[in-house]
Amino acid sequence: MTAGGPDASETPRPAGYRHLARAVLYREYLIFVRYPANAVGGLVISVFFFGLLFYGGRMVAGQALTDSIEGIIVGYFLWSLSVGAYSSISNDIGSEVQWGTLERHVMSPFGFAPVALLKGLAKIVRSFVTATILLAVMLVVTGTSLELNLGTIVVVATLSIVSVLGLGLAAGGVTVLYKQIGSWLNLLQFGFIVLVSAPAFDLGWLRWLPLAQGSALLQRTMIDDVRLWEFPPADLAILLGVAVGYFAFGYAVFQYATRRARRLGVLGDY
Amino acid sequence: MDSDDSVAASAIGRNERTAAADTRPDSVESSATDDRDIAVSVTGLSKRFGEGDAAVTAVNDVSVDVESGSIVGLLGPNGAGKTTLIKSILGMVVPDAGTVRIRGVDLYERPREAYGSVDAMLEGARNDYWRLTVRENLRYFATISGVDPNSVRDRHDRLLAKLGLAEKADVPVRELSRGMKQKVSLASVLAGGASVVFLDEPTLGLDVESSRTLQRELRRLAEEEALTVVLSSHDMDVVETVCDRVLIMSEGEIIADDTVEALLSGTDRHRVRITSRDLDTAVVSALRRRFDAHRVESGDPSPRIEVATDSDGLYELMFLLRRNDVTLERVRTVEPDLEDVFVDLTTTDRGDR
Repeated sequence: MTAGGPDASETPRPAGYRHLARAVLYREYLIFVRYPANAVGGLVISVFFFGLLFYGGRMVAGQALTDSIEGIIVGYFLWSLSVGAYSSISNDIGSEVQWGTLERHVMSPFGFAPVALLKGLAKIVRSFVTATILLAVMLVVTGTSLELNLGTIVVVATLSIVSVLGLGLAAGGVTVLYKQIGSWLNLLQFGFIVLVSAPAFDLGWLRWLPLAQGSALLQRTMIDDVRLWEFPPADLAILLGVAVGYFAFGYAVFQYATRRARRLGVLGDY
Repeated sequence: MDSDDSVAASAIGRNERTAAADTRPDSVESSATDDRDIAVSVTGLSKRFGEGDAAVTAVNDVSVDVESGSIVGLLGPNGAGKTTLIKSILGMVVPDAGTVRIRGVDLYERPREAYGSVDAMLEGARNDYWRLTVRENLRYFATISGVDPNSVRDRHDRLLAKLGLAEKADVPVRELSRGMKQKVSLASVLAGGASVVFLDEPTLGLDVESSRTLQRELRRLAEEEALTVVLSSHDMDVVETVCDRVLIMSEGEIIADDTVEALLSGTDRHRVRITSRDLDTAVVSALRRRFDAHRVESGDPSPRIEVATDSDGLYELMFLLRRNDVTLERVRTVEPDLEDVFVDLTTTDRGDR
């Protein structure tokens, strides 16, 4: 028998992963639609900085900037996607620690792992929504046109930011252990600018860094109209390997940090 | 079981063998009997923080069984190890040694199975999502505790009604008062399938009426639905009113484990309320130097003082009053309460017991 009141007609049914997925994703949806200020605020700031970059750059560099504007737009689109995913997952874990809800998830029969994965999925979707709006604004403001092969863009961009989600999970894990360090780890997102603009096709080893390979492939898709099946299989394999590898790394760091926090007795102490 | 749990489990296994040979303090009764329905069983639980000379033993070889449908109070001064004990039982702090069984399932061997029947409201934590409404929180936490929320909709309605939250069911938690938020926390803990709940300071921040409502609801759930509750509180009245049994912790060990009635009847600490016109400042100072004494407001013109003492001290008290030429108008013994027992047990030199 369980708490809440006896009622013969009421038999609690066990929840499966389907219920868990619905609960986690619905919660993310509710937060998104009920508190749009965060998303809108982030979007406005992103547009503002892009405007600064575009108009300021045009004043300084003139035609040179206009010639490379397509690359800048694609890079900025991917950067905003990755920042959205990274900061939301790492900040989210920090908040869960602070609220004591992380402990309740750890105590769940499902464990925190599937919840973290579902949250990651929700963050990707959410980042896509805001980054797509940003992309549209950038195209209108600059009068630029890009090849928008939806399927290829979604696959390449998703795999690109999965690696960043891994970094977000790792940062969240470090936050579980060291708490206040979380705000410093947010600074990492500025390093994504370097990764997005890395010349991955010129320097082979750069491909193994998060975002670099994805950024290079996304440029070719959106600027040169290359479809997913037209990429060399090795390029796609590297993209997939980097995504899985960094995500697995981040997840392992998070798991390790959570276990270490349980050993030290600091899992929920903020 | 993850690797960390494996490490913990192997340490637990080692300790289980040594713990079986250990002699437990006399004040702690062995509660292992076969005919009882045990909801929580803890054996030889120990946890140290830090290393070397700086190491602190937070929980030292604690063994305790909690019967289904009982409410057990966990008392202890700050730093006694209550929170570490609760978190170790829940697996939030990995113990150095010991076993924990929830409804017969080893929590460190099969955590996912054990977590299906236990939930907790931990001190200082919000425990729920303030941006969701009250009902959304109940549905969410029912799901993550392993129960389809649609199948317990009626239970949620009853919980909301019993805890006075029905009118606020569709209000975001962030808009509620602190006391209401505390109730939402409790409701979300009870929303799923937990038949064992750990509540750390559940009445913190509640007004008197809300605290009483919560106490009544806990008793009802324990009596009517065999909900097992382990609650930690500094509010002695709550523990005395609602708990079937009280564990008192000090320096990481359980130093008393009994019913409230047994603990009250076993104490040698008395409080004597004395009324006299002669209780001037000098006399009161003399009393305070020797006893735990304080003035008590009274409607009488004569001052009144309350003195806490044991049986031997009573003779000394009378001698002291006589030596100071205090004419007694009225002497009354005040029945000890749980607070007296607690103070008595936790302030006495442990070596004397």
